[in-house]
Amino acid sequence: MTVEVTGARPIPAADRVTIPDLYADPYPIYQRLRSTAPIHWVPAVNRYLVIGYEACHTVELDQERFSADETGSLMKRSMGHSMLRKDDPEHDVERKAYGGVLRPKAIKQHWRAVFERSFATYLARLKDAGPGADLVSEFAAPYAAENLRVVLGFRNAGQEDMQRWSQTLIDGTGNYADDPDVWALAERSSAEVDAAIDEMLPVLRADPDASLLAQLAGTPMPLESLRANLKMTIGGGLNEPRDAIATTTWALLSHPDQLASVLAGQRWSDAFEESIRWVAPISMYPREATRDTELAGMAVPRGARLGVVVGAANRDPAVFTDPESYDIDRPKKPHLAFGGGNHFCAGAWIARASVVAVALPRLFAELPGLRLDPARPAVVGGWVFRGVTDLPVLWG
Amino acid sequence: MPKVIFHRDGGATDVVDVDAGSNVMRAAVQNGVDGIVGECGGQAMCATCHVYVREPHLDALPAISEDEEEMLECTAAPRDERRSRLGCQLTLGAGGLEEVEVDVPATQI
Repeated sequence: MTVEVTGARPIPAADRVTIPDLYADPYPIYQRLRSTAPIHWVPAVNRYLVIGYEACHTVELDQERFSADETGSLMKRSMGHSMLRKDDPEHDVERKAYGGVLRPKAIKQHWRAVFERSFATYLARLKDAGPGADLVSEFAAPYAAENLRVVLGFRNAGQEDMQRWSQTLIDGTGNYADDPDVWALAERSSAEVDAAIDEMLPVLRADPDASLLAQLAGTPMPLESLRANLKMTIGGGLNEPRDAIATTTWALLSHPDQLASVLAGQRWSDAFEESIRWVAPISMYPREATRDTELAGMAVPRGARLGVVVGAANRDPAVFTDPESYDIDRPKKPHLAFGGGNHFCAGAWIARASVVAVALPRLFAELPGLRLDPARPAVVGGWVFRGVTDLPVLWG
Repeated sequence: MPKVIFHRDGGATDVVDVDAGSNVMRAAVQNGVDGIVGECGGQAMCATCHVYVREPHLDALPAISEDEEEMLECTAAPRDERRSRLGCQLTLGAGGLEEVEVDVPATQI
């Protein structure tokens, strides 16, 4: 390894990159950085940002050199030490404890009906809000939250609780500015989730259902790990489907030819996979180098805090032709929006079922003439998590 | 040394020597065999290491687990009831297969 490191190029510093610029639109920044190197030291975020597809993929597949168990992790502080910040074999034990709850068979047997029911509820809410309503707050967010609530087994919470918990715990995970108010809200949610879990465990042991909490209640997973894993799942399980619904809808309404093709061929899966390639809802996640090593020909020092920017990897022109455009007809290549390797998103099938099989086709069927509101453009933001935050739409 | 022979869509063939205990998916990913993705790293979670096993090796294959069964229902290329398997579930050597010959589907995603 030393020989490789000796021959490796130094990693350049990107001093001019700022967090507000990344938040507003990270893609021109990634394009500029990518032209000189696939990895950059970015002082503003105190990380080495890995933006090349091959380099990101290499990190995902090599937990020996690039550990998920990051020192000083904000996620651990916000949510506890979940499997997402563990390596195998510890990670694998907890991952296996999730059993079949999030897999296709359970979706078919239990969750598909839940998604249909939530859809009816929140479509009605969107219609009540009338043309001009925000698709994110009136539909996508509560729909994703309610689905998550039932799949996780929180009979004692509402979808609004799920939204608050998810947002505040995620805000803690991304609290690089160390804002005490952000920590206070995250801690409050963390305590609320703990209390809700404590209340539900005996209930679900006595009256088990198909939910994740019921499944975990029957395993020897320590309570501390169970709590952390549930909080991680509340974080990841809400924003991904919410943002995928909003981004796909926004993309299709902005590209009428492609919308026509989707409607004609029921190509909702193509529309969804291309939209999460184009704007990955979870765009960056951390890893830590366990030793002096080489990545994409560059020298990475032991202890280096890496940001694996899948949002940038998904637009790497070495892999995707004309990567900045939304194109459902592009040649199929695996995107990295669900991550890869042992941390591949456990909720990927839930996301596909709730978004591709239910939300998107039903929305466009139930709201003829669905279109963007020309008076109020969509608002998009974020770089660690990126998505459409406001999507005013008209129909009829 | 255990061996996997990949017949890729389009006709090319790759012969890959594999460490005992590894599997068909890892053999492909580590050796850059096109057409095998292996997104989930071998957890029978993503259905992107789908292969069609060739005839002489079918009887030597391990049984299909419940997890593998449900993923085989989710493959991008059509499932072949007899020949379709996930490469990550086919272990080489160490009591597993010594040699296996597979056809790689036209698509995994």
